[in-house]
Amino acid sequence: MPSPGPFPGRFSRRRFLAGSAGAAAAVAGTAVAGTAAGCAAAADVLGLGRTVRVAVTWSAEELQAFRAVLDGFGDLPYAIDLVPLGDDISAAFGPQRPDIIMLPQPGLVTENHDKLQPLPDQVSPGWPYAAVWSPVSSYGLPFKMTDKSTVWYRKSVFAEYGLDPPPSWSKWLNLNARLARAGVAPLAVAAADGWTLTDIFENVLLGISPQTYEGLVPPNPRARWTDPVVAQAFRLLGRMWAAPGTLAGGVNRSLVQQFPEAVVEVFGHQKAAMVISADFAEPVIRRYAIDPGDVGVFPFPVIDGDDQERAGGSRQPPLVVGGDVAVLLKHAGDTAVDDYAVNLVTRLANEEAPLPWITGHGGFLAANLKTPIASYSDLLKPLAEQLARPNVEQPIAFDLSDRLGALGGSEGLWRVLQDFLVAVGGRGPTAVPDAADIAVRRLNDLALLRR
Amino acid sequence: MPLLINGLRVEVVGREITGRPVPGRPRRSYWPYLRGLPSLALASVLIIPIAVTTVGAFRTKHGVGLGNFGVLTNAGAGRALLHSLIWVAVAVALIAAGFGIAMLGHRVSGLWRILQPTLVVPFAISGLVAGAAFRIIFDPAPERGTVTAVVTAVFHSSPVWLSPGFIWVVLVSAFCWGWLGYVVSLFRAGLEAIPDDLARAVKVDGLRGWRRLRVVELPILLPIFGIIGLTLVVAAVRLFDLILITAPGAMQADADVLALHWWRTTNAGEDSGRSAALALVLFAVVAVLAVLGMRGLRRHWAMPESAIPPSAQPSRPLPSRNRKVLGLAVGVPVSVFCAFPVLVLLLTALHEPAAAGLHGWWSSHGLGLSSFGAAVNAGLLRALVSNLLIAVVATMLVLAVAVRTAFLLAWGGLPQRLTRTVVIACVVLAVTPVQMYAAPLREAFAYSGLAGLRISLVLVHAAAGLPFAILLLRVAFASAPASLVAEALQGQARRSAVITRVRQTCGPALTAVAVLQFVLAWNDFTVGFLIGGPGATPLSLVLWGEARQFATSAGTVAAAAVVSSIVPVVLLLAYWPTVVRGLTVGTRP
Repeated sequence: MPSPGPFPGRFSRRRFLAGSAGAAAAVAGTAVAGTAAGCAAAADVLGLGRTVRVAVTWSAEELQAFRAVLDGFGDLPYAIDLVPLGDDISAAFGPQRPDIIMLPQPGLVTENHDKLQPLPDQVSPGWPYAAVWSPVSSYGLPFKMTDKSTVWYRKSVFAEYGLDPPPSWSKWLNLNARLARAGVAPLAVAAADGWTLTDIFENVLLGISPQTYEGLVPPNPRARWTDPVVAQAFRLLGRMWAAPGTLAGGVNRSLVQQFPEAVVEVFGHQKAAMVISADFAEPVIRRYAIDPGDVGVFPFPVIDGDDQERAGGSRQPPLVVGGDVAVLLKHAGDTAVDDYAVNLVTRLANEEAPLPWITGHGGFLAANLKTPIASYSDLLKPLAEQLARPNVEQPIAFDLSDRLGALGGSEGLWRVLQDFLVAVGGRGPTAVPDAADIAVRRLNDLALLRR
Repeated sequence: MPLLINGLRVEVVGREITGRPVPGRPRRSYWPYLRGLPSLALASVLIIPIAVTTVGAFRTKHGVGLGNFGVLTNAGAGRALLHSLIWVAVAVALIAAGFGIAMLGHRVSGLWRILQPTLVVPFAISGLVAGAAFRIIFDPAPERGTVTAVVTAVFHSSPVWLSPGFIWVVLVSAFCWGWLGYVVSLFRAGLEAIPDDLARAVKVDGLRGWRRLRVVELPILLPIFGIIGLTLVVAAVRLFDLILITAPGAMQADADVLALHWWRTTNAGEDSGRSAALALVLFAVVAVLAVLGMRGLRRHWAMPESAIPPSAQPSRPLPSRNRKVLGLAVGVPVSVFCAFPVLVLLLTALHEPAAAGLHGWWSSHGLGLSSFGAAVNAGLLRALVSNLLIAVVATMLVLAVAVRTAFLLAWGGLPQRLTRTVVIACVVLAVTPVQMYAAPLREAFAYSGLAGLRISLVLVHAAAGLPFAILLLRVAFASAPASLVAEALQGQARRSAVITRVRQTCGPALTAVAVLQFVLAWNDFTVGFLIGGPGATPLSLVLWGEARQFATSAGTVAAAAVVSSIVPVVLLLAYWPTVVRGLTVGTRP
């Protein structure tokens, strides 16, 4: 016998809401269960069926592009479960391991090689990959390559002020000063994603001294962080950021801006002229650019120093590359799933495999040198050619922060560079030398801690 | 020898007393204790890992000692502790504000009809979704962020809301938004239950203003202050998912709290003893607050009052015009404040992903349903089915186990001391932060092969929800009229009559427990993230993965957030009066 209560009308409203909730759940349930996909999903949810679990760092559009690549393999005897881990890719080595990891940090390969299966020989006959990949050759299959020495800019702004893409660092600083005087913010910096800052820093360091750059890689680094070259790299970079009016929105805005937001600032809201970003910015730009024809890209210039100091070393522009390798994890279990995993990796090694990503989504440079260059978009073709047939004198190196392990991660180099940006951003060149010394000392202390 | 007394034949059968009287206790049977075994088994899912963590916190490289607590001397940990204490102050301020709003809107008819649904919705929405909504509102780009646009239009430049310092504005607003409805609703229930004749007598006596508050409302509402205080302060100290999603990566160190600091310490691969010490400190803070809150509730827990609602009151005096105006002046802005973020989420979700990344929810280009399509592509539907399974099974498990144990505690004739110990243990388990049992549980699941499976999440959710369910149901059962229970136990009342009366008195509490447990398991992020890892929990897979590049995925994130919030919102809107009645049972004067 329900109690009458002072508001009898409420009772029927509650009934109606509860009934509609039940009806909605029932409709949703039948809709999902009725479709074939629903049956497969139910089998998945209940843990039946053989699935190969692949952990990736990609999300949103890149994840969809990778799904398109997997769909391009047609019908497979096994299901593939994608686990997007974002920046926590090292969590994939934790207790719940997937079967394959698409690893963006080759440094983690050497650290965790006891958890990995060596690649079977037949996976990629002939090994058609660039020389930079040799350290990971026995455990990782290179899949995606990234050119991190590119700067994207708005051609209309350059045309308006009669400017050309700068061939050297000193000319770049003059260009920035010219734009700042005219009231246009030259750079949009995405400091919330620490890896954008480390990419810029690595370009400067590699451009000054490739020997020091390679020497900093563990284990047994030949160079130290206290090397004067490192401090010089910080100073040159600091003076670019310290020039008043260079950073769009100021330091505070840069600190909360992630990489796609910086791209939107330049090409979508048109508040800045350039963004220093890798080749995978291309699809983001295409998505948000108000004027898609107004996009240009120039390679990172030669580091010759600025008006306060000369930089010695190479006369060639640096080329920092990154990428993702596919690694197989050791499993104490199901050999059938192991075979499926090897099968999937073999398919990924095929030179035609990434074509859905290249043509459909863009922003992808295949690590496999046999992938046809004609399939790339016009903006990426020159970059792909440069990677396939590199200039022998140009210093090419793999991304440093990916090889440093935890020191190059969010509590290491990223944090040091973010704090460095806060210390120098927009404050003029006088703040730079002290900030550079502090940054170098912190890096040295962190490196000694990790040893 | 038969006697005749009033027509009744009475026979006395006895024997002679031989020897001295021997002291002793009545023989106690141990069968009732068996009823407590299922809940002990389920609770051990939590108790054993908690014990492991506690032991691990004291185990250093040099043997047993306090060395691990040196982790607190890190600047980061000290700052995290300070921030957690600031959040306690925020929770206290929120309680005061909620009380003020409930008092001001008290007895203004018609106001609650509009205000009630808007107050319930934020409570039904998970911390992750609330954080996402507020991060969209406070986006630093004036083209996208509402508050930034308004401030730029008025002052020509706006502070960067997500930067260090200002991020507290965003976080505190999101927290207050989420909990205000709960606080105001419970206070309102308490205020409505104050008997009218008391209010009239006090008015006749001439007590007004602060004195009246101190003499009438505060003492009567003390148990409700206790419940709200306990839940809110514990929620504030255990805050995790809200900060994780709202603070951009670089800022997380500046908005750090103990719970988040534990996660970052564990991720950075610190020695497990030191993380255990950090978790123990968090647990100590929460347990102290819980025990303090319990002391305020002591009257409530020890002497449950009747739960039968008062019969229909004679018509109440209408509030004065000033009171009405004041009530509306407070109630309408609160209503707008509660409804606005939901509106923002909905409108952002109705834009295409590219348009949502460029412009704010108020722009008219790019309207369409493709954000929902993108969210479905990211695996939303599968995640929803998974979530539903986990929440339903966990709720059924909790109810099945908690009912028997609550009945045992209320009417099982257990010794007083044992009941009190079990109640205190339940309170402590109910407030335990996930960080205390996450690491050992994760290892145990990995070792037993249950890692990443839904069954492990069901077990953890059920074990985590059990203590609170037992506490609530115990009070509800204890407040059933004693004569009814005695009749039932001795078999003199018909079984169906007993069941009907029990359902009448305890029905609201059962429904409240079921609904709350379902909503908590559905909205959960912390348990799945810390114990299952980022790939395991269904909803976190979608929301957290999509939120990696937040501002430009605002459309997809908003669509996923809207879809995942529909079920708990509808459920709580339907059952809110029952939930409030169930939570405040035993506190009526």
